This record gives sequence, C-alpha cells and structure tokens, in this order.
Amino acid sequence: MPREVEISIIEREFIQNALQEGIRRDGREFDAFRPLELNFGDEYGVADVQLGKTRVIVRISVDVVAPPPERKFDGVFQIVTEFSPMASPAFEVGRPTDAEVILSRVLEKAIRRSNALDTESLCIIAGLKCFALRADVHIVDHDGGLIDASCIAVMAALQHFRRPDVIVEGEKATVLSTRERDPIPLSILHQPLSVTFSYYEEGNLFLVDADLAEEQVRQGEIIITMNRHGEICQVNKYGGAPVEPLDLLNLNNVALQKVKDISKFIQQKLDEDAKKRDAGGLMAELSAENAR
Amino acid sequence: MAALVTVVLPGDEIPRSSLPTPTGKKKTLTLGPGLRHIPPDTITTTIAGALTTDNKKNAIWVDTNSGRYIPAVGDLVIATIQNSVFESFNCLLTPNTPFASLPQLAFEGATRKTRPVLAPHSLVYARVVSNGQHTSPEITCVDPSTGKSEGLGPLKSGMIFNVSLGMARRLLLKSKGEVIVLELIGAKVGFEITVGRNGIVHVDGANVKTILAVGRAIQEVDEQALGEKGQKKLAERVLKSL
Repeated sequence: MPREVEISIIEREFIQNALQEGIRRDGREFDAFRPLELNFGDEYGVADVQLGKTRVIVRISVDVVAPPPERKFDGVFQIVTEFSPMASPAFEVGRPTDAEVILSRVLEKAIRRSNALDTESLCIIAGLKCFALRADVHIVDHDGGLIDASCIAVMAALQHFRRPDVIVEGEKATVLSTRERDPIPLSILHQPLSVTFSYYEEGNLFLVDADLAEEQVRQGEIIITMNRHGEICQVNKYGGAPVEPLDLLNLNNVALQKVKDISKFIQQKLDEDAKKRDAGGLMAELSAENAR
Repeated sequence: MAALVTVVLPGDEIPRSSLPTPTGKKKTLTLGPGLRHIPPDTITTTIAGALTTDNKKNAIWVDTNSGRYIPAVGDLVIATIQNSVFESFNCLLTPNTPFASLPQLAFEGATRKTRPVLAPHSLVYARVVSNGQHTSPEITCVDPSTGKSEGLGPLKSGMIFNVSLGMARRLLLKSKGEVIVLELIGAKVGFEITVGRNGIVHVDGANVKTILAVGRAIQEVDEQALGEKGQKKLAERVLKSL
C-alpha cells in the first residue's frame, strides 16, 4: 500500500521549534484558516472549494428510486468520497487509506446523521418513489485540512443544489424538467461545519487548519462539528495524547467563531451566485429580444 | 540570457538565423534539453518554452518551467533518505518517482568499516551520477575524481522549501537568474542556502525567523514572478520584519 511520504527530520524539528517560538510555517496565526475560496459550477450543486493548496470538488446528483422498505417516508441521501491519485502519491483508487476512511465517517456523522438534510422532503410517494441524492466528494489536491474543506464543500453544494419539481396524480409521478418549472432548493435544517484542531506539546498548543506538514508533526487532532447556532454535532478525537477537559471547552468557543465566519462566507457566495443566475424573472427569459 | 526571447512550440523547426554565433573556442553546436537533431541539418523542438542561446558555449536549449523533475547527469539535488538496503540508501528525489540509490561508500572518507549512518527521512545534498532509461538514478555525495565532498553531504539543520523547477534552475545559474532578493537580504542578515534541481531549497540561518523569511521570500518571487522592482520591495519588507 502506498504510504504518505513522511516529511524529513529537519522539517519536523524546524516546525516544532518554530511552534515553540509561536511561529507557524506559513506565518499564519494559530487560530487562522488558510485563504478560503468557493466557486460554483454552471450546473446546480457543483461546489469547488480551495483551502490554501487543498482543493475539493463536490457534485450533487439526483435520481428517482424506490425507497428502502424499512424507511418508507424517507428519501435516500449518501455521501461518496473519492481520493484521486492526482492529489497525493499516497492515494490509490480502490484502496482506501486511513485518511479516507476517517473522512467518510466524519462526513457521515457530521452531515447525514446530524440531519442537516431533511430526507423526508425527498419522498415523492410513500413506499413507492423517492429522490436519491448523492454527493460525490472528489479530493483533487491534498495539502491537509481535508475534513474541514470537504465539509464546507458538501454543505455549500447542498445549499446550491436545486432538485426538479414533481407532479403527483394518484400513484403516478411526473418529474418536470427545469424548462417546465423552476427547480426547487433542498430543505436544509441546519448547516454543520467542521473545524479540525491539531495539538502539539502534550496538548498545550492548538492549531486550526493545519497543512499537510503540520498534520504529520501533530500529536493528535480533535474534530469539532457544529452549526452557527453553536449546536455541537460531534466531537471526535482519534487517539493521540490526552487533552485537558477545560481546553476542549475553549476549543468549542474558537470553533463557533470559525463556523460563524465560514457560514457567512458561504451565504455571501451563494447570494453572489444567485444574483449572477437571475436573468430578471420569467418575462425577461421569454422575451425574444437579445442584446445585439 | 539572450536579450530577445523566442517562444517555441513542440515540432517547430529552428531556423539557422536563431542558432548561436560561436565566439568561444568551441566550434561544435551543443543541443540542450528540448531540442532534437534530425540529420542532416534540421533541428526541431520537442517541448514548448523560450528558446535560449549561449554564444560563448555555442549552446542552444529550450527554457521551460516543467512540473516534473527528470534527473539528468550532473544535477545537484536534495534527496530524502528512505531506507538502507544492502550497500546503498534508497532516496527520494520527488515523492512521485521511484527511489534513487545512493551507495553507502559514496561519502567523503567512507570505507567499508566506517560507513555513514543516516536515519530514515534525513536529507542529503547529492549529485546525479547516472540515470539510465530503464534503471533507477544513482546519486553520490562525493566527487569521484578527488574523493572530496565538495560541499555535498547530509544536511543537518535548517528548513526546506519547495519551489518550481524553473526557479531552482535560476538560483543555480552563475548570474543567479535575476534573483536579487537574496543578495539584498544577505547584505543585512546572514544565512545559507542550498539549491536542489529537484525544486527544493534548503535554508539555514541563525534563527527560525530568518530562515522562514528567506525561504518565503524565495517562494514569493517564484509564485508571483516578481521582477527587479518587486524583489527590492520584498527585500525591504522582509528586512523590516526581522
């Protein structure tokens, strides 16, 4: 199995020494994210997130299927992660690395199990037909902070996505094309976002959004997922050195601030995109005039 | 560097007029990377880039900033030791390519009894000795003719920074490839840099701040393609922060 290429000894020592002096490798503050960029595709439900050099593309697609018999009134929603070998020499198709397993588990807990998406609204005819929503997470470039970036990308894509409208007559359902009727946004109950804290020096020093080199030096990480109202969806700590309980509370406060900032950023980008798409209503669209 | 830059694309024929006019003793024309001779007298390009000539050496080559490092004999590289197998170390020149081998005896003063002990993931400054098409590249830390290290060997402290291959080549040029920022910073604070052709720059200095400032300055010049003016401004800013 291809392994992550470890950083060299002198890099490791240097990063640790620099952190002791209170300096990060790229000159950021300890609790600062890398520059975040978010772009939407031409189609609904495509979000491209760049966090420093890390890049994640999420695409939402929809299909009509029969719901599982044990959940007749629910739609189907699944998140599929794919690590492209282009992103890092450590990734190989068909052989998930630990990072990939952790990422898909964290996303599952953060978004699917926290009921961010109201799956009941995806039901068309109870027990017969429902929408199956699928979020494909593609890691295109890997420089650390995959969990945070993926979470942002999935939530942004879900908020951007529009599903086609349906008409139900008895047991017959007709899916209307986007030309016939405007597609409908998904009903999203809340917007969970993840903030990963890496800690060093036996839990005395916490970093937000560590890059790949910093991730390799860290003694452990704590993943906190919450929405902008401060409701915690999960707190994850996969092994590593022990951490003081009081620190955990402090991290929650930091995470809340970050989540609020990012939520605002996503909303601002969504508004910009909506403005760009708005052709000026149906009348403008139907008009035969063109800008000649 | 030639004053006039011609951009060539793969498959272009090089006209006779753009060949260098020899001023030195060397009469035979040397073709560098990216050029190919088709007998009897056609020269075509195989890569896209800026056509560069050197009249003194009677050489012509295509200057390009490629993404992938391909080892060439004589290149100075910074390699990462991965493990020790039999009588040589396996090293990585880039994370995406197979190992290069570094014989354990290819160090200054190394004998069968006194071999260097290098831990995995330590760095060495080395020269590429051979790179066959079907064999892994071999590197060395000693000049085979003199038996001296000539500045090659393990790197002990400091920090490494990744730059583009074009930038690494510019830094290794005698004229420093118009990178003046280092001289400007070096006039005030002391530091030491080692450049590997595989796109790695190693910086060592008195403290963490200096090392980071120098390394980031090089990366900034590289990423933003700063000219002379920009580099002067950058150097001023860096010196003020130190």
